[in-house]
Formats: sequence, structure tokens, C-alpha cells
Amino acid sequence: MSTEIQPYQVEFDEYLRDESRSVGHADSISFPKNEDELIEIVRKLSKTEIPVTVQGARTGLAAAAVPYGGHLINIGRMTRILGARYDEQDNRFFLTAEPGVLLSQLRKAVSSGEFEIAEPDDLTQAALCRYKAGEWFFSPDPTEASAALAGMVACNASGARSFCYGPVRPYVEALRLVLVDGRTLHIRRGEQKAKGRDFCLNLDDGSYIIGKLPDYAMPKVKNASGYYIEEDMDLIDLFIGGEGTLGIITQIELRLLPMPKAVWGITTFFPDEKSALRFVRGLRGEKEATGVEFSVKPAAIEFFNHKALDLLRIQKQKIAAFAHIQELKATYYNAVYTEFHADSEEKVWEMVEQMNQMLEALGVSPEDTWVANNPRDMEKLLVFRHAVPESVNMLIDQRRQKDPAITKLGTDMAVPDQYLDKIMDMYNGEIQTNGLDYVAFGHIGDNHLHVNILPRDMEDYRKGKALYLQWANAVSAMGGTVSAEHGVGKLKAPFLAVMMTDAGIEQMRALKAVFDPQGHLNPGNMFTMKKEGDA
Amino acid sequence: MKIIVCVKQVPATNEVKMDPVTNTIIREGVESILNPFDTYAIEEAIRIKEKQGAQITALSMGIPSVVTLLQEAVSLGVDDAILLSDRAFAGADTMATAYTLQLGVESIGDYDLILCGKMATDGDTAQVGPMLAEVLGIPQITDVGEILEIGTDFILCRRMTDDGYETVKSKLPAVITVTKEINIPRLPSIAGMKRGKAAKVPVMTSKDFQLEAERIGLSGSPTQVVRTFIPSHDIASEVLTGSPTEQAEALIEKLREQKLLNW
Amino acid sequence: MSSIKVIDEKCIGCKKCVSACPFAAIQIENKKAVILDNCTLCGSCVESCRFNAIELTVDEVAHEDISTYHGVWVFAETFDGQLRNVGLELLGQAQQLAADLHTKVTAVLIGHPVKHLAQELIAYGADDVFVADDTSLKDFNDQSYTDIMASLVEKQKPEIILLGATMYGRSFAPRVAARLRTGLTADCTGLSIDLETKLLEQTRPAFGGNLMATIICPYYRPQMATVRPGVFATLPQDETRTGQIHELPVKKNPVDVETIARVLHEEQGVSIADAEVIVAAGRGINSPKNVQLVKELAELMGAAVGASRAVVDLGWLPYSQQIGQTGKTVGPKLYIAVGVSGAIQHLAGMSSAQTIVAINSDSDAPIFKVAHYALVGDCSELLPELIAQLKAVQ
Repeated sequence: MSTEIQPYQVEFDEYLRDESRSVGHADSISFPKNEDELIEIVRKLSKTEIPVTVQGARTGLAAAAVPYGGHLINIGRMTRILGARYDEQDNRFFLTAEPGVLLSQLRKAVSSGEFEIAEPDDLTQAALCRYKAGEWFFSPDPTEASAALAGMVACNASGARSFCYGPVRPYVEALRLVLVDGRTLHIRRGEQKAKGRDFCLNLDDGSYIIGKLPDYAMPKVKNASGYYIEEDMDLIDLFIGGEGTLGIITQIELRLLPMPKAVWGITTFFPDEKSALRFVRGLRGEKEATGVEFSVKPAAIEFFNHKALDLLRIQKQKIAAFAHIQELKATYYNAVYTEFHADSEEKVWEMVEQMNQMLEALGVSPEDTWVANNPRDMEKLLVFRHAVPESVNMLIDQRRQKDPAITKLGTDMAVPDQYLDKIMDMYNGEIQTNGLDYVAFGHIGDNHLHVNILPRDMEDYRKGKALYLQWANAVSAMGGTVSAEHGVGKLKAPFLAVMMTDAGIEQMRALKAVFDPQGHLNPGNMFTMKKEGDA
Repeated sequence: MKIIVCVKQVPATNEVKMDPVTNTIIREGVESILNPFDTYAIEEAIRIKEKQGAQITALSMGIPSVVTLLQEAVSLGVDDAILLSDRAFAGADTMATAYTLQLGVESIGDYDLILCGKMATDGDTAQVGPMLAEVLGIPQITDVGEILEIGTDFILCRRMTDDGYETVKSKLPAVITVTKEINIPRLPSIAGMKRGKAAKVPVMTSKDFQLEAERIGLSGSPTQVVRTFIPSHDIASEVLTGSPTEQAEALIEKLREQKLLNW
Repeated sequence: MSSIKVIDEKCIGCKKCVSACPFAAIQIENKKAVILDNCTLCGSCVESCRFNAIELTVDEVAHEDISTYHGVWVFAETFDGQLRNVGLELLGQAQQLAADLHTKVTAVLIGHPVKHLAQELIAYGADDVFVADDTSLKDFNDQSYTDIMASLVEKQKPEIILLGATMYGRSFAPRVAARLRTGLTADCTGLSIDLETKLLEQTRPAFGGNLMATIICPYYRPQMATVRPGVFATLPQDETRTGQIHELPVKKNPVDVETIARVLHEEQGVSIADAEVIVAAGRGINSPKNVQLVKELAELMGAAVGASRAVVDLGWLPYSQQIGQTGKTVGPKLYIAVGVSGAIQHLAGMSSAQTIVAINSDSDAPIFKVAHYALVGDCSELLPELIAQLKAVQ
């Protein structure tokens, strides 16, 4: 039943779109319930010329899950946690999950210790005996907790805490995949590596894939654009951030981290952008920015610019759902959120006092801070932070009523540390020159801001799109990336082309062709399609 | 103006887990917090202080560790705090609590306004505020959603009622109990936390007062708990399965059988 | 001073008391129970200990003679010249208590104009009605109402007083109790007489409804309790009942509090307190957009819209629609819970509904434990279906 390839009908409309709000089309659809069913569907399709798009929870912002014709596999019914493993030697805990498990579901299971594993094997039983709720956590924290794990792996998702813990990549210990021809692959970190730029990948059936890795150098910034390539690389990393173009993820083994005993969040308000940027650099340990030595690595450094706070002030008045967020004094121009993790409350307080010295050096009042040192207050700060993108979406939805062609233009670019001031000047200056409306917020610790251009009409929209492409060029020239966390998907393929140059894209295409010669798997992701443009 | 805010320590969660084997309560490791309603009272006091100037004292009856929560109140903007703590106060019901708080309030003296949360989340009685007003012999306004004006000898409030709201004027001093509608409590600042950590909270015991011993603690409490039990809610429920269409059909059919539809 | 102590020689460290303590106030140290600061002297551990190793000493306090108190009283709250239902519900319950105590039921009516309501109270179960009707009592006032009630109690000495746990009742009852220096139990869900001791056993939810506690007031009189509207059923009106009406002289004392203005809710649709059908929205509806679907369904069914605390906290529905421990208690014929997880606080406010339907995407949601009909599914798919099908059959 679940291996059935159903012809597409209107009732499936919701599966044609994701959070990017772009809409695609499909000819047929299937909802496999487990790995065997998924493999059977892929094998059936491999005998045809039908391209296939795989989708999870459709929370992506780059339309990677939006089908551009052909068959659509929805993994939303593969939602079981299958097993657990405890590595006593290094005190590491691992969970194996199906690809459709949601981040929220994983978090709930991890925090409660209730994994509901149907048939635990011996390893799992032994591991669960050692598990204590509250002692472990999964660090990647994208804003959208309803994301599916496979989607997070496919785009190498991150979140605020990635500043300290990194993106999803290092927490993927093993993957099971099915290739477009139906062959399967079980790959574990450390087991299969490239030799220089050559690789030979062993598959489950004893066959293997031989290929050559591209020779481009990846940008030395937080990155989610293009294949992850390094000499002698672990081949599992090809599939993480591979956006489903090389194989379909059917199982994921994730590594959990020991939960820090003390977690504090602090939002600091600044009177101007200069002092906020100096503070950010100070938090990164750049002593010259504030004159104060700061030796702590914060778990997160996030920024909300003056336009973001202004928008919140307006939405708080207008929309009941935002009425409960904390009150913003008129003198607050922008905000920087920092999060500290440590073994004890005392240690976090030492960090806060160090941070406070920087604020004093910058002439910022320690009164202009919000400190959260318990889960209830942390939740309040989280609501505040998430209110910014939610406000943007609501505003855009309003404007779309006037002109449905309008979408928000959200960037996801990151640059190396030394360009922080330069990129901020570029964003602010060119927005102003073009007379556009915008807000900027995000992971400033990694020089990774989401500039959201908010078009008021189609004229703004066109200007914004042009500006976006212009920035992709500028960011690439600085050695940055066009997508640091959302992935390229279909919407940012033109920008990837700018960043990678034609030569880079050709090498990527060649790599894909080794796995998927016909280009049938997730067509349109990363590479601009030759026939079809925006759907 | 001098404001006293009465606060209480409560468990962070009211969840009660049962040990399925022994059929007893598991209530280990539950964190203690300031009663959420009291945080609105603290915030309101601070707003009054910011608007027209005030000296704010937080007052609590509780175990010695409540000092930490009172320091938390200081970190939010309360000026000082007093804890009433003594084994002799233990086991107090709302009447004995109101009397003990009365002693604390009178030792502070010379107050214009007493702010309380409308109820505590552990007991849910909403009785201590009005009882305190009565034993002090001053007026009260409960369930206040907004303070409209404070004059030299009066306060004008909007109070929530079952049918809407009322604008009520009271002479001062008075006890005001506040609801969640009244404000959005702030988070402490770094500067505030430093003040909180440095704050010295005096602890007063039964020996510090000339009191009527038969009105405090367990033996001074008119009410007594004779037993506690876990309520059972389980009933046999019928699960309606299928596609949304089938589920909706089944439900409408059931409601029709039960004559719960108007047509 | 009352005190509790562990007799170390008797304690074997069996931990029975640890799990009996509702406050986590006992620890085992060196294989002996140790009672911590947060002990409330509730005595649960004393009963649990099989070795009589815990000793609770309660000071004997001299008490007044309580044998002179007789009769069950009900405060009949009015609003705008009408009786509130809760007073009638309490009269029904008071009759049962009075029967067990072989005594009479008395109603107290304060306000203006209220004189004309006395007969109705008799029809609903009062044997006597005290009426204080004066223009000065038109607005509810804690002070003047307390003065009247307290002085009447001091004269008449009732043994039990029941009051509605309305906003007014919860403001006024504690003042009366404090003036009379007696006990008051809030929000009782069960009231009965212990036939041996003749004491009123007052059962109420504790810890947000996770635990029920039975409370007595053995040495002080009257025994006072407040009860939420909707907890007890009103007995049928009996026009043939007779009783005595006593009008009280009203002294006009100066008051410190005055009501300046009163604004009534504009009731949108049916009020939840009186509704026969309620459609309630919980956090699981996921988006403020789905509130519209809930409203549409409610309108189709002639139902009132209710809300869980989470939804009210999010600002999706007003507080006046909140059902549960900190909101309203309801007892409709049909309760449809949409996306309501069923936290015990919510259940406390609605579990007396006759038929409960739960719609929730989380099959483990506790609401399913009380639901007669359980629909596991996404409300954004199910509600449009229900609405469409109801429209079709209408």
C-alpha cells in the first residue's frame, strides 16, 4: 500500500510547496513507511525515465523540497527512532532515527528519555540503561523545530548555537542511503575516505563507485553551499549538505552532546550599530575591538538590527500574538543576544562579568540587558528572537494580498571575520541607496546575517532581486558564501553559480553524474535546470 | 510612597508523578521559583517606582532558602526584602499565613500600598491577599488588571470581574492583588543581578515579634488536611479512525446518536 | 510550637515516607529519614511509616465552644438584580449537608434590589432567608458586605457557610473568614459530612489538580468553603416550599472603596458559563489562523468558544474564554477539545462535561484519557471536514 505510486491529485497540493512559499508541480506521489518501501519505490522508478524529488517536513527556505515535475517521495511517515548506542570510553551517546523524525520530536525524546523504540537490540537496551533524561542534548538548533532530520542533514543546517558547536555535520555519525538506481549504502564516519581527490565508495552489494572530487577550495566560513570537498575527506561528508542530489537518506545516526549544567542567555541593547559590532568582535576574542580580554567562547552570538526592533515594536502593538513579548525601551537601537554554557552557575556568572567589562568599555549600560538564567526566562528570550522572522512573514503575507507575486528576499550569506564591518556597511548603504525596506538579523558571530528585503511593490521586488545578485558577487569576492545555513536548493542555484564560477559548477555536475548519470535525483537542487526556470 | 510586595516560593511545576509500583507520589528535584503571579506584582511596583518614585520592600514567609528568591526580586528592581522564617511558622494555612504576614507588614510600617499576586500556583486559593487586608484593617481590590492612577491618598484600578471589568477607587493604604493582564514582567539586567547578589536579606523569626502564638503555624491554622489522593480521570474512550473525512463522518454520526446535534 | 521529628532508633531508612511526602521534604541520610525545611507538617509521612518512627506534635490550643453553632448557610450572590446560578447550586448541596446534620438551610441575600429574590431562594431549598437590601449595597463592596455577613454570623452562629468562588466571592469570603477568625477552603469540588465527627469534609484540587486534598476545620466555626460555579447541580425549583424571610436593618457605614464604573463584556456568541456545547481551542491548533476554524465550528453548532491557558497566554483568545483551574469551570452537555493537550489544570475546569470529544495530533495527549470520542489527527485537516459535513447535513 505505502509503496504505491499514486497519481498526483489536487488534495496533495500542500506537498508542492515549502516555507520558501514557491510552488512546484508533480505527476505522482508516494508515502513510504520504512526503508524497504522507499527502496522498492526507487527501484520501480529507476526502470523509468521519471525524475524524483524527495521531501521531508517542507520547512526549507530554498525550495529544495519543491518538486519540478516527476515523482515526489514524501518521507513524512518514516518517523521512528530505531536505536541507541552508548560509547562508554569517550562518553558519547548516539541515536539512530528514520529520516522523517522531526527535530521537535527528537528534542522531546532526548529531554524526556522516552524514545519509544519498538524493538530495541542489545546495544540499544544497554545504552538506554545508561541514559538519564536531562543529561544530553542535540546541539543544532534551526529556528524551525518542525524540520525533518533528513532535511537538516541534506542542507547541513545550523542555528544560533552553531557558533560554538558547529552545524549538523559533525553530529552525523552514520548514514544509510539509497542511490538513484536502487543500490544501497551504509556509511559510518571514519570508515571510507578519499585518497587525495580520488575516491572509491563501497556499496552494500559489494559494488563500488569510483570518482574524482572537485578541486575547488571551500570558503573558510560557515557554509551550506555546494558539495563539501576536501582532500582525503571522509566520504560521509559528501552526503551531508549534498541536498539529496547524490542519494536518498534512509537512516541517520546522530551524536548527542552532554548537556551543560548552566545555560544563560543575555540580550544586550546598544545605542548604535558601531558599538554593537565592536561588542560582537570583542565576544569573538578580538581584543582590539574593546580593549578588554575576553577568553570565553559564547554558545551563540545573534544580532537584531534597528529595523528589526522597529518592526517588533509595531507588530507588538498590532498583533495579539506578539503582545506578550518583553517591552523595548525607546532608547534601544539594536540588540545582540549571547548565550553562555558552562558546568556551573558560578562559571557562567564569571563569563557574564567579563562580558560586562566589555560593555563598560563601550559605554553601554549594564542596565540595558535582559538576563535569562532558567528555562522559563530562556523561553521568553527565544520567543523574542523568533518573533522577528515571524513578524517578517506576517508583514509579507499582508503585502502579498496586494500583489501575490511579492515574496520576501531573505539572504543567507556569510563572509570571513575581517569583513564584518565592510559587509554591514554594504548592506545598510545599498539598501538606503535603493530606498528599500528591510530588517537584518541572525548569526553575526559568524558574520552571517539574514538581510530580509521587504518589498512594498513589484518595483521594490525587482530592485531587491538585483541587489541580491550584486551581493552574491560581492560576498564571493570576499571569500564568503551565498548560503551559510539554508542550503542552495532551487532558489539560490543562480547565486551558487556566481560563487563557484562555471568551472566549479562543472566539476560539481561531474561528481553528481558519477552517482546519478541521468540527473534524475532531486533535479534543480544546486544546479540551475536547463529547461525549466522558476516554477 | 512606600510599597510592600508579598511574594511566595512555589514549585516550578505542579506535575505529580505517581510511582506505578508503590502508588505513591514522586516529587523529587522540583525546582522552586517565585510564584508567577507575584512576578506581576513585583513588576507593577517597579513601574510605579519608575513613574512616581517609591521605596519597595519584598516580604515573604518561607523556608531559609527563599532568601535567594528575594535576592532575585531585588535584581528586578525591588529595594530591599525581608524573610519571615521559623519552624514555628511551618504548616500555616491561609489564615495563619495572613497573620504572620501582618506581623511582617507592621514591622516594616508606614506603608501606602501592598501588592500581591492574585493567587499562588501551588495552592490556588487567592485567599491570603484579602485576609491580609482584613487583619490589617485596610481595604482591598482583587484581580486588578490595570492601575489607572495613584494619588496621595487613593488608588484607582481596573479590576476584572466575572462579567467584565469595573473601575474601582480605594483609599490608601490598601491591598491590591494583580492578574497577568496588568503588565509584562521584565527580566533582570546584569546590573540588577549584581545588586541582587549583594543584597542582604534580614530573616525574622517568631522571636522578633510579640505575637499570639496560637495564631501561627500548624496549630494556629483553622483548616487541616486530613488526606490527599490522586484524582482518577480514566474513562473508556472510543477512537474514531480513518481519513479526516471518515473521522468527521464518524463523529457526526456519534453526536447524532447521542442527540447532541441541534438538527 | 508544633513540630515533627524522626525517632532515629525506630527509623530503618525504608524510604516509605520519602515517597509519601507531597512536598519532597524528606531525604534519607545515613540510612535515616531527615525532614527538610520545606516540611509543611501535613503529616502524610506519619501515616506512611510502619515503624511509628515519625512523631508529629501539634500544640493544643484553647478553642471556643463550637457546640452552639447550627445550620448551613449559603451566600446567594446577585448581579444586576438577579441571582447567580452558583447560589442555587449551593442551595442544593446545602440541603444534603443539612439533612445529614439534621439542621436547616439559610440563604443570605445582600444587595439592591434583591428583596424580590428571597422567595426564589426558598423555592430552591432555603428554609430561611436573611435579606439586607439597601441602595448603599447596589454595588458589590467587600467592606460593607463583610460587615453585614460577619455581624449576622456572630449573632446567628451557623456551623457551615458556602459561597460561590466567583470573582466577588473569592474577594469577599476571605475577609469574612479573617474577621471571624475561622477557616476557609477555596474552590471545593466535593462537600460532605463525616457522619461520625459531624465535620464538613471539603475536597479540593491541590497542585493544580494533580492531587486532591480533603480538608476539615475541626476547632473553629463556622466552617467556610467556596465552590466554583458549575460544580454542583441545581435542584429543581419547588414553588410549594415555604420558608421565612428576615429583613435586616442596614447601617450605612462609610466605605473606603467605591465602584466608579462598570463595563460588561460584549459577549461574542454564547457565554461559556451557560453554554450547552463548547468548542475549545488549545495550543495544538498551532496557528492563530486555526482559531477562525474553531470559531466557525462553534457557530455552526451553536456553541461557545473556549480556550486553554496556553492559547490565552499567546493572545489568540481572550481570558474571558479560558477554561480550567485559573479560568472558568464549565459543565456543558458536549465539550469538543481541539488541540487541547489536557493538562490537569484544564481538566479541572471541564471534566464534568457530559460528552467529551478530543481532537489532537498527539495520540499521547492526556485529553484522550477523559475523552468519550478520540480523533487523532491534524485539526487543520479535520476541522474543515467537520465544518463542511455539518453544513451539508444542516
